[in-house]
Amino acid sequence: MNEYENPWFHGLKWAYLLLVVLTLMAPVLYVMYISFNANGFGANEYVFTLEWYGLIFSDELLIGALRWTLMLAIVVTLVAVPMALLAAKYYKAADNKLFPVFLLLAPLFVPPDILGSALLVSFKNLNAVFIWIGDGLGTSMFDSWFRLSFLTATIGLIIYTIPYSFVVILITMGRYRKEQTEAARACGASGWRAFWDIEFPQIRAGVFSASAFTVILVFNEYTRTSLLKGGFDTFTTVLISQMLNTGMSPQSYAMSAMISFVAIAAIGGIIILTLIRAEALARIARGKAEPVMS
Amino acid sequence: MTFQTPPAVEVRNLAKHYGDFVALKNVNVTIAAGEYFVLLGPSGGGKTTLLRTIGGFQKPTSGDVFLHGKSVGHLPPDKRPTTMVFQAYALFPHMNVTQNVGYGLKVAGLPKAQIADKVAHALDQVGLTKFAQRKPHELSGGQQQRVQLARAIVLDRDILLLDEPLAALDAQLRKDMCLELKHLQEKVGITFIHVTHNQEEAMTVADRIALIANGDLVEVGRARDIYRAPEKSFTASFVGENNVLKGKVSDANGVSVTVDVAGAKLQVAKRDLPVSTGQNVTLSIRSECVALETVNDSNAPTDGLSMLGAYDESVYLGLTTSHLVRLPDGTEMVSRIIADADDTLPVNGAPVRLRWKPTDIRLHVE
Repeated sequence: MNEYENPWFHGLKWAYLLLVVLTLMAPVLYVMYISFNANGFGANEYVFTLEWYGLIFSDELLIGALRWTLMLAIVVTLVAVPMALLAAKYYKAADNKLFPVFLLLAPLFVPPDILGSALLVSFKNLNAVFIWIGDGLGTSMFDSWFRLSFLTATIGLIIYTIPYSFVVILITMGRYRKEQTEAARACGASGWRAFWDIEFPQIRAGVFSASAFTVILVFNEYTRTSLLKGGFDTFTTVLISQMLNTGMSPQSYAMSAMISFVAIAAIGGIIILTLIRAEALARIARGKAEPVMS
Repeated sequence: MTFQTPPAVEVRNLAKHYGDFVALKNVNVTIAAGEYFVLLGPSGGGKTTLLRTIGGFQKPTSGDVFLHGKSVGHLPPDKRPTTMVFQAYALFPHMNVTQNVGYGLKVAGLPKAQIADKVAHALDQVGLTKFAQRKPHELSGGQQQRVQLARAIVLDRDILLLDEPLAALDAQLRKDMCLELKHLQEKVGITFIHVTHNQEEAMTVADRIALIANGDLVEVGRARDIYRAPEKSFTASFVGENNVLKGKVSDANGVSVTVDVAGAKLQVAKRDLPVSTGQNVTLSIRSECVALETVNDSNAPTDGLSMLGAYDESVYLGLTTSHLVRLPDGTEMVSRIIADADDTLPVNGAPVRLRWKPTDIRLHVE
């Protein structure tokens, strides 16, 4: 049997792909479905409504948590991605690659509870040391430097996200040839100019992917955030505490669904734009009909 | 060679170590302005290290580099009056040909109109005007190297470094590009320093050749001298197809020296070399200078300019045929002849005589 001409094989491949996507997306789709039910989760009767979406912005707990989460995501991304980029550049240039890669990836292999607890203890001790130094100097200036706060949560999340960013950026850097940087230097570009003009455009996709990944990781992260955050809540900590105590509110379903919509629209938009751009480039290339000869 | 003005490049006592590995050992070389200078040698010999050190891509362990009389050892590549053509992969893939060639001018802050004029002129010089809007992946290997050349010459720097620029090209394209490079250098008149391991490429383009091996600068000279009259036995063994014979001096009194090689007493010009009786020396004779003739007797010749051996085999090389002859001590000698008729070849093991002119054999004392 000619497998290439059998329509069943083609259909089967698509069916399998669809099944995988549906399996992955089913929980999200269910949350979206619930978010439009006027009677909320578990009700016998489904009545379509947009009410919960209207009430999201009146739920101060959720909006506050979302604000803190966004701030954390922005700060962590702005710090972790450039650090990961620098680390990846160092790694590429290093002769002995084993030690730096071990150091950078080590946080991935420490369970989140242990890493979070270790950081909690470290910050508490550090805070005590700084208070002691401040007392010695007769000032209270250092008292709150390492008290559990936005700063400690940020540090914890940076440690958590850097390995992921490092790996994502390193993968895109794998195709980059250092001869191009040297060629730019030979053309008179400084080290920074060579990076910005020549290397960055070629690894930009990796840097943007690492940024997107970092934002998602910060949104997802519960254990380290809840241990290190101090007196504020993030979106995930609110959702989990609601589920553990009272169950998710209809506004929480709406908020979760809305974030999913935004994420899917953003990623889908990027994919569609990339496909359109690739097709446009291919059309330009085809337009240069003259054969390539030496 | 004497220089009226400071030389374009002067390398003084340059050494480069990578841990225990010595890539360059106290190299000294001087290159005149407007010269086409080739660094030739086997892979891993240190020629690229020397080129990259001149260009500022590597810091020397010791020694210094002077460009037009000024020490530049402390300067990065972008602060030196040099530019470079790389072996491959050095075009910027996200830029088209025009943008690649104009990049250095853009970095220098030239007005757009001036950049456009200069880029158009450079592309015209390398014959790529009609490919100006193509991306690097839409060009062949030879075209990509020409873009690199245009990108380098458009900067009007007076020293161009070429790191195996033709190594990634096929044989025919390499030959064509060799001549193009030579003509381009004559046209623009700047100093070219070209690294290659291919002696034919070196011979085609070079005003002078420096032979580099094992981190040492073995010999510097005009291409013709390096080929026809090598000073060092390594040069003889690397450049051209030379027969290199080991022997012991039996008489060193006079303008010529007698050397015992495989039972024969060979005469060779002394050339004022410090040589004494009993000393081990090396002789070299280019294979195309060795004539081959069949003989009937096995008496060793006494003219000092020929040897007897047993015919081994022939290797047809197109233009020439190499005849391999085994000497009594097992050494193999080659006689290369422009002829492709093989119907008169001696039979395997037949006694043959190898003969050359007095000026074709050279003495090497190291």
